[in-house]
Amino acid sequence: MTETSKVVLDIADLHAWYGESKALHGMNFDIREGELVTLLGRNGAGKTTALRCIMGLVRKKTGVITYRGENVAARPPEIIARRGIAYCPEERGIFSSLSVAENLELPPVIAKGGMTVDEILELFPNLKARWQSPGTKLSGGEQQMLAIGRILRTGAKLLIFDEPTEGLAPVIVKQIAVVLEKLKARGFTILLVEQNFRFAAKLADRHFVVDHGKVVERFSRDELAGNEAKIQHYLGV
Amino acid sequence: MAMMDLIGVPPALLFGQLLVGLINGAFYAMMSLGVAIIFGMLRIGNFVHGAQYMLGAFGAWYLMRLPELFPGLGLPSIGYWWALVIVPLVVAVIGALMERIFIRRVYDLDHAYGLLLTVGLAMAIEGAFNVYYGAAGQMYGVPESLKGGINLGFMFLPIYRAWVIAAAIVVCFGTWYMVERTKLGSYLRAATENPDLVRAFGINVPRLLMLTYAFGVGLAGFAGVMAAPIYQVSPQMGQGIIITIFAVVVIGGMGSIFGAIVSGLMLGVIEGLTKVFYPQASATVIFIIMALVLIFRPAGLFGKETTSHSVADVSSGRSGSFLENGRLWLAIFTVGGVALPFLVYPVMGMKILVLALFALAYNLIFGYVGLLAFGHAAFYGASAYVTAHAAAAWGLPTELCILLGVVVATAIGALFGWLAIRRQGLYFAMITLALAQIIYFYAVQAPWTHGEDGIQSVPRGTLFGVIDLSNTLNMYFVTLAVFLVGFAFVYRIIHSPFGQTLKSIRENEPRAISLGYSTDRFKLIAFTLSAMLSGVAGALKAIIFQLASLADVFFMTSADVLLMTLIGGVGTLLGPVVGAAVLVTLQRELATLGAWVVVVQGIIFVLCVLFLRKGIIGTLEEFLANRAERKVQQTADRSEATTRIKVAQ
Repeated sequence: MTETSKVVLDIADLHAWYGESKALHGMNFDIREGELVTLLGRNGAGKTTALRCIMGLVRKKTGVITYRGENVAARPPEIIARRGIAYCPEERGIFSSLSVAENLELPPVIAKGGMTVDEILELFPNLKARWQSPGTKLSGGEQQMLAIGRILRTGAKLLIFDEPTEGLAPVIVKQIAVVLEKLKARGFTILLVEQNFRFAAKLADRHFVVDHGKVVERFSRDELAGNEAKIQHYLGV
Repeated sequence: MAMMDLIGVPPALLFGQLLVGLINGAFYAMMSLGVAIIFGMLRIGNFVHGAQYMLGAFGAWYLMRLPELFPGLGLPSIGYWWALVIVPLVVAVIGALMERIFIRRVYDLDHAYGLLLTVGLAMAIEGAFNVYYGAAGQMYGVPESLKGGINLGFMFLPIYRAWVIAAAIVVCFGTWYMVERTKLGSYLRAATENPDLVRAFGINVPRLLMLTYAFGVGLAGFAGVMAAPIYQVSPQMGQGIIITIFAVVVIGGMGSIFGAIVSGLMLGVIEGLTKVFYPQASATVIFIIMALVLIFRPAGLFGKETTSHSVADVSSGRSGSFLENGRLWLAIFTVGGVALPFLVYPVMGMKILVLALFALAYNLIFGYVGLLAFGHAAFYGASAYVTAHAAAAWGLPTELCILLGVVVATAIGALFGWLAIRRQGLYFAMITLALAQIIYFYAVQAPWTHGEDGIQSVPRGTLFGVIDLSNTLNMYFVTLAVFLVGFAFVYRIIHSPFGQTLKSIRENEPRAISLGYSTDRFKLIAFTLSAMLSGVAGALKAIIFQLASLADVFFMTSADVLLMTLIGGVGTLLGPVVGAAVLVTLQRELATLGAWVVVVQGIIFVLCVLFLRKGIIGTLEEFLANRAERKVQQTADRSEATTRIKVAQ
C-alpha cells in the first residue's frame, strides 16, 4: 500500500464511557482503501469498545469517526451498517433460533458487489453440510466461519472482525488466515482486532497497539522486525 | 350416542358447549398469539391487550353507526367486512403510537415497569370507555352474508361461528408461518436474541419493534371485530379476558408462538367441556390447569427451559438514611397516629392504616425480594371474607375471626408461593395474577360469600371481651396498634439475617445460591410472610368497615397495592405508608369525579412509571444523598484549600 491511497475510515480523538467508567481516552487511527489493519492489545485495552463505537453501539462517546468523508459518530448502528461497514462481533453472535441458512442470509444486502452464497460456501465448505441445522449447534470453528461468511454477502466494503481466532484450534486459525488473505485480495478493506500477534503479524499491512484506551504505538509491516520487544511489552501479561 | 347417554349428557348440550368452547378458544388463540409475540420481541407483558381488543369491537360498532354519530356529515354506515379491514389497521396505528410515546421508554428498565405501564394504560382506556358507555353492552348484528346456520344432524352450526373458527385458525397459523418461516420472521427472531447485533447488520430494530407491537395489537383489534357480533360490545369485554390470556400464555410456554395458538384453542375447548360436566369450575378451570402445568412442566407445555431471569432490583431505599430508621419512625408514627383521629375523620385514618399495612406487606416481597407479585388481592380478600363470615355467620369472638382470616391467607400464600416461586420477573407476575383469579371466581360463585352483595353488616364485637369495637375511637386505636406492630415486624424482618439474605437474593441471586443459600426457600418464606401480613390487613378491613366484598379479591386491589408501593417508593421503609396516605387522600379528593377515578388512577400509574420510578421517598432519598455528597465534596475542597494555604505560607 502506498501512502497516497485514500483513507476509508478515520478515528480522531475518540473517548467512550460505559456508565461512569471511561473505556477510551482519545483514540486515533485510520485505515486506507484495501488495507488490512490490526488493533493489538491486551484484554480490557479498549479494542472491542473502539469497534463498538465505530458501529454506533456505544452511545456515550465523543470524537470524530469519519467513514468515506462522512462523520458517522452520531449515527445509529443501522445507518452506519448501510454506509458499507460490516461487523463480525466477538463471541461470534450466531443466532440459536435461526438455522445456518437463515443466519447466513440474515444481514440485508446494502450494495452491489457482495459475494454470492455459493462463493461463501466455497470458502467454507463445512457450512454446506450443516445448512439446515440450528446456528448454535455448530462447533466453535464452524460458528466462526458462519459469522465471517455472513457479512460477506452484503456488499459492504469495510469488514470489521473482533478476535476471530479466539478459542479456536490452530488448524482453524490457519484456515481463517487464508480466508482473510483471500478477502484482502478481493479488495475488501479489513479492520482486525487481535490478541494473537503471530496470527496478525503475517496478515496486516499496519498495526496499531492499543493500551489504556488509546493507540500507543503504530508499526507498518516492515517495521515489525526491530520492534518485537516493544510489542511484547504491550501484549505480554 | 349411546355412550353419551351413559354419562348422562344430552349430545346437543355437549356439542353446543364444544362449539362455544371452540369459539372462545379461537379468541384465546388470537389474543395470546399477540401477547406472546409482543412478549417474545419486546419483553413487555402487554396488559393493555384486553383494552385493545375492546377498541377493535368498539371500532366496528362505531363504523356501523357512523351516520348516527356524525349526523351532519352524511357518512355511510360501514359494515362488517370493511370493518374487518379498517379497524385492525386503525388499532395497529394506535398501538404504534402507544409504543412510540410510552412503551419504548421502558425497554431498558426492569420487566415490572412494562407491566405497570400497560396496566395503567389499560385502566385509562377502559375507564374512559366505561365513563361513556357504562356496563351496558352495545349490540352488533351478525353480517347479512353470514347469517343462518347448517343443521349437522346432531347439532345446529351457525355460519358466523364456523367462520370465526376458520378465520382464527388461518390468521394464527399464517402468523406462525410468517414468524417461523419467512425472512421478516428471521429478523424478528434474531432481534429477540441480540438486538444490537441485528442493528449493526443494518436493520432498523427500533422500527421493527414498533411494527411488531403494532402487529400484535392489530391482532387484538381483529379479534375485537370478530367478537362484536358474538359477545356484547362493552367497555369491560377486555378486562376479564386479559387475565385468562396471560394464563394461556403461561400454559403454552412464554414466548412460544405455537404454544400460544394450540393452548388457546385447547383451553377454550376444555373450558367448554367443563361447562357441561362441572359447570361450577368452568370459570377457574384454565387457572387450575395453569397451576398443574406449573407443577409438572414449569416452562409451559411448549416452552423451552430458559435460563432464569434475575429478580427485579427496583428498590430505591438507601440504608443508613434517617428515612430508613425504623425505631425513629415507629416513635413518630405512634405519636402521629394518636394525634391523627383528632385531625382527620377516624374512618379515613383507619383506611390509611389498613392500606399502609397491606402495602408494607406487599413491599416485603416486591421491594425487598424483588418478585413482582400481582395477586395480593387474593390474600387480602380471602382473609376479609373468612373474618367477615366467622363474625357474621358463626358469631365467633373478633380476635378469633381475625386469626382465622390470617391463617387462611397464610395458607393460600404458602400454596401460591410454592407454585410460583420458581419463576421470576414478568412470569411471576402473570402466575400470581392468574392464581388470584381462582380465589376471585370462587368468591363470585360460593354461596357463603353472597356474590355481588358481599358479606355485609359484619359485627365488630368486643376485642378480648373487653374493648368495645363498635366505638369508632376504640376501633381506631386497635387498628393503630396492629399497624404499629406490623410496621415493627416488617422492620425487624428486613434487618434480621433473614432480611439480609433476601436483599442478597435481590441483588444477585446466582451469587446467593453459590454461597449456599437455598434461595427458593427464602423467597417462599418471604412470600408467605407477605401473604400473612396482607391477611392481617384484610381481616382488619372486614371488621372496620363491617364488609367483605368482591372488590377486596378483585385484581384492581392487587393493582392498588402495587400503585401505593410505587408512589411511595419501592423497597423503602416509609414508601408504603406514604403511598397509602397519598392514594387514600387522592381517592377521597377524586370521589367527586365518579367513574373518572379509574382513568385518573391509570394516568397516575403511567406517570409514576415514566417520571417517578423511585417514588416519593426514593426521590427524597436521592435528593438527600446528593446533598450529603455535595457537602462532603465541599468540606474536602475546603480542607484542601486550607492545606494549600498552609503550604504556601
